Amino acid sequence: MASRGFASEGRRVLRDPLLLGVITVLWLLLALFVLYPLTVLMVRAFSDEGRLTIEPLMTSLGDSSHRAAFFNSLILAATVGVLGTLLGFLFALTATRTGLGRRWLTLLDAAALLPLVSPPFTTSIAIIFSFGPKGFISHHLLGFDNVSAYGFVSTALAETLTYFPIAYLTLRPIIAAIDPNLEEMAFSLGGSRWRIFRTVTVPLAIPGFANAFLLLFAASLADFATPLILAGNSFPVLPTQAYLQITGMFDFKGGAVLSLMLLVPAAVVYLLQRYWVGRRTYVTVTGKVGQRSRTRAIAPWASVALVVATVLVAVSILYFYALLVFASAVVAFGANNSFTWHHYAVIFTEGVPAIRDTLIIALIGMPLGGLYGVLVGYLIARRRFPGRQAMEIVSMVNYALPGTIVGIAYLIAFNDPPIALTGGAMIIVACYVFRYSPTGIRATVALLSQIDRSLEEASSSLGAGSGETFRRVTLPLIAPAFFAGLGVVFIRSMTAISATIFLVSLSWTLITVRILENMTEMALGPAAAFSVFVIVVVFAVVSVLSAILARLRTATAGAAARSLLGG
Amino acid sequence: MAPISIRLDRVSKRFDHTVKGEVYAVRDVSLSVAEGELLTLLGPSGCGKSTTLRMIAGFEEPDEGTISIDGRDVTHVLPNRRGIGFMFQNYALFPHLSVFENVAYGLRVQRKGTTEIAHAVGKVLELVGLANYERQQPHQLSGGEQQRVALARAVVFQPKVLLFDEPLSNLDAKLRVEMREEIRSLQKRVGITTVYVTHDQEEAMAISDRIAVMERGEVVQDGTAQDLYYSPATEFVARFIGRTNIVEARVVSPAEVEIEGLRITFASGLPVGQMVRLVVRPEMIELQPAAAGAPDSAVITHHTFLGEKTDYQVKLGALSLQATASDHYRKPVLKIGQTVAVHFHAQGIHVLK
Repeated sequence: MASRGFASEGRRVLRDPLLLGVITVLWLLLALFVLYPLTVLMVRAFSDEGRLTIEPLMTSLGDSSHRAAFFNSLILAATVGVLGTLLGFLFALTATRTGLGRRWLTLLDAAALLPLVSPPFTTSIAIIFSFGPKGFISHHLLGFDNVSAYGFVSTALAETLTYFPIAYLTLRPIIAAIDPNLEEMAFSLGGSRWRIFRTVTVPLAIPGFANAFLLLFAASLADFATPLILAGNSFPVLPTQAYLQITGMFDFKGGAVLSLMLLVPAAVVYLLQRYWVGRRTYVTVTGKVGQRSRTRAIAPWASVALVVATVLVAVSILYFYALLVFASAVVAFGANNSFTWHHYAVIFTEGVPAIRDTLIIALIGMPLGGLYGVLVGYLIARRRFPGRQAMEIVSMVNYALPGTIVGIAYLIAFNDPPIALTGGAMIIVACYVFRYSPTGIRATVALLSQIDRSLEEASSSLGAGSGETFRRVTLPLIAPAFFAGLGVVFIRSMTAISATIFLVSLSWTLITVRILENMTEMALGPAAAFSVFVIVVVFAVVSVLSAILARLRTATAGAAARSLLGG
Repeated sequence: MAPISIRLDRVSKRFDHTVKGEVYAVRDVSLSVAEGELLTLLGPSGCGKSTTLRMIAGFEEPDEGTISIDGRDVTHVLPNRRGIGFMFQNYALFPHLSVFENVAYGLRVQRKGTTEIAHAVGKVLELVGLANYERQQPHQLSGGEQQRVALARAVVFQPKVLLFDEPLSNLDAKLRVEMREEIRSLQKRVGITTVYVTHDQEEAMAISDRIAVMERGEVVQDGTAQDLYYSPATEFVARFIGRTNIVEARVVSPAEVEIEGLRITFASGLPVGQMVRLVVRPEMIELQPAAAGAPDSAVITHHTFLGEKTDYQVKLGALSLQATASDHYRKPVLKIGQTVAVHFHAQGIHVLK
C-alpha cells in the first residue's frame, strides 16, 4: 500500500525539521532552475497570443531548411555514433587484449582523454589548421589550394575524434570483464581466433556497443560548437540553426521550436540508454580492470595491427594538439610561421575579462555544484521521503537535455520579470550547477550503495540528528564523490558553451565564447592560445583533484576518480 | 519485580512484498522488559526479531501499536532522541575515525567537555579490555576487538537501554562463547536493560534472563530458558529449543499413556482414550540392553559417540526416537543393531496443547 508508506514517510520527514528544510529548498531550486525554464520554453513554443497551438511547430516543420537541419542532425549523430563506437572498440581492444605495457596504456589513455577535457573548438581549430585552404596537410604536404574544410565530412570527423573517448571508457571495462579464460577455452576447443572473436567476444560486448552508440549519438546531437565552426551553410543542424534564429533574427519563438525538435530524439536516446542498455551493462562495469594476464585469443599479427592502428589514431590526436600549441605561438599559421608570444599577450590583456569571469563563475559553481551533488545523491540514495523518485528524475533533466534547449529555456525564462537574471553571473552559475552536478549525484549514489546503512543508524542511535550524522559520518565517507562532482562542474565551467552561449552578456562573458568570437573574426592565433590556456588550467585542476582523491584512499575513490573524466 | 523499562503493546509492521503483496514482518507483538533484565528475541531468520528490535531503536516505525521506554511513549520518536545503545551485526564502526573517536562519538554529539570525554572513553575502553587502543583505526583491529569497540561505543554514554542485533554471528565459534560471557557480565555489572536478538538457541539460553521465541512475526512463547525447554508452548518451540522427540501417545488410564504399545506411567490429566502429543527430550529416554523379542524392546539404528555423551537413534515399532546417554565412563556404548529396553522418565515429559 503505497499510500500508507507515503503518509508514514511524510510524517517522519515532518518530525525532522532540517531534513524537511533541505528537501524544501532543493525542490524550490529544482522548480526554479529545471521545471520553470522548461515550462516557459514549451509555453513559448506552443502558444500564440495566449492560446495553445501547434502551429509554430507545423510552420517550422514546413520550412525545408528546418527539416533538413533535423535530418542532418540525425544523420550526423548516427555517423558519429557508429564511427566513434568503432574507434572506441579499437582502443578498448588494444588496451585489454594486446598485452600492452602499463606505460603505453597511460599514454593511450592520455591521448584518448584529452578531447574530453578540452574546450569545444579544439578539434575544429586543428582541422582547419590541417585541412583548410592554408592547411598543414592539405596545402603544405599535399599542395592543394583553396580546399574547403567545411561540411559534413569534417564535422563528423571532428565530432568522432572529440567524443570517441566516451565509447572507449564505456567499452573498456566491459571487454576487460569478459573473462579471457572464456576465450581461451573456446580456443582450446579448436575454434579459430576469428571465430572466437565473432562468436564469443563481440556478442558479449553487444550491450556495451549499444550503450556507447547511444551515448555518442546523444553527444553529437547536442553538440553545438563543432558544427557551428565546421558544418558551414551546406550542412545546417538543429543546435546551430536554433542559435542563429535567436542571435541572428532575434526570433525567440523560432529558436524555441527548433530546440524542441531536438528534444524528441534526445529524450528517446536518453531513455533507451538509461533504462534499457544502461542497466544491463552496470554490473560488468564494476569488474576488475587490467587485472588479468594477457590472452592468446588474439593472433600476434592482429595484436600488432591493433596496436599500430590505435597508435596512429592517438598520434593524430596528439598531432592536433601539437598543432594547436604551435599555432598559438606563431604569427599567422601557414602564412608566417615565426615564433611570437603575441597571441598570449592578447589573451592576457584583452582576454583578461573573459578569463576572470570564467574563473569566477567556475570557482563559485564548483563548491555549489559539489555540495548540491552530494546532497541530492544522499537524499536519493538514503532518505525515504515523498517525491524521492521525482527528485531523482527532475535532477537529471538538465543533464540529459541538449545544452541548446537548456540555454534557450534559461534565456526565455529569466529574461523578463518576475525572475530577470539574464546578464548576470548568477544565471551562468545556476546553469552549470544544475546541468553538470548530476555526475556528482551519480557518484554519490554509487558510493553510498557501497557504504552500509548501519553506519548512519549507529550515529543516529548515539544521539546525532540527521544533519549531524550527515556532517560527521556521511560527508567524510562520500568526500570522493564530492570532489569528483566538484571537478566535473569546474571542467565543464571552463569548457562548455552550448547552453551558456545564450546567457553571456556585456558584463559577464566566458573564454569559450571569446574563442568563438575569435574564430568568426578569423583570429585563429588568439583562439588557439585561449584553448591552450584552458587545457592547461583544466589539467592542473584535474591533477590536484586526482591527488586529493588518491589521498582519501578509500576503496571507492577510484570509481569517483573515473567519473571525473567520464562525466 | 523491577519496574518495566521497555514495553511493546500490540506492535505490527507490514511490508509490501513484490510477489505476496502486503505481508506482516511483525504481527501484534506485546512484550515487556523489566529494568536491568536481558530479554532475547530468538527465532529463525525472517521471523521478525530484527524488525522488532529496529522498531525499539526507532530505525523502523510500527504501523500499529505503541512502544514505550521508561514510561514514555516513543513510538514516533526519532532514534537519536531515544537514548538507546545499539550493537550492529557488522559492528558499524566509523571507518574514518580512530577507536577513541568512535567511542567518543556519542559524547561529542552531546557536546561534552574534552576532559570528560577523555576520562569516560578511557574508562569504558578499560572495561572492555582495550586500554591503549585509542589511536588504532578500526581496520587494524580483529573481529573480536572491533566488537569490543562497538560495545564500548554503545555503553559509554550510559544509555537507558542496550540493543543487540545478532552481534556475535561474524565471530568464530570459540570467540563467540567468550564474547557472550563478556557481554553478559558487562550487562549485569552495568545493570542496563537489554534486548538481544539471535537465531542461536544455545547463545540465547546462555545469555538471557528471559527468551521470547518468535515465529512468522509473532511471539509464540516468552519465558526463561527452562520454561521453554521443559514446557514448550508449541511444537515449533520444542523443536527450536534443544533436540526433541515429539511422540504420539494415547491416554489409557488417569496415570498411564501408551506409546507404540508401551505403557508408561504418566499422569497426563486428560480424559482416557484421547490422543496426545508428548515432548520427550532425548535425555529423558534411558536405554538398557535387553533380550531380543521382549515386549518393550527397540533396536539401535544409529549412534554418535561425542565424548561427554552419546547420541542414539532407536527404532521402537514404527517410531524413531532420539536418546542420549552421558554415563559411558561406567557403561559400555551400545552397538548398532543391538536390542534395548526403552525407559521413559515421566517427570520430564510435557504434553503439547
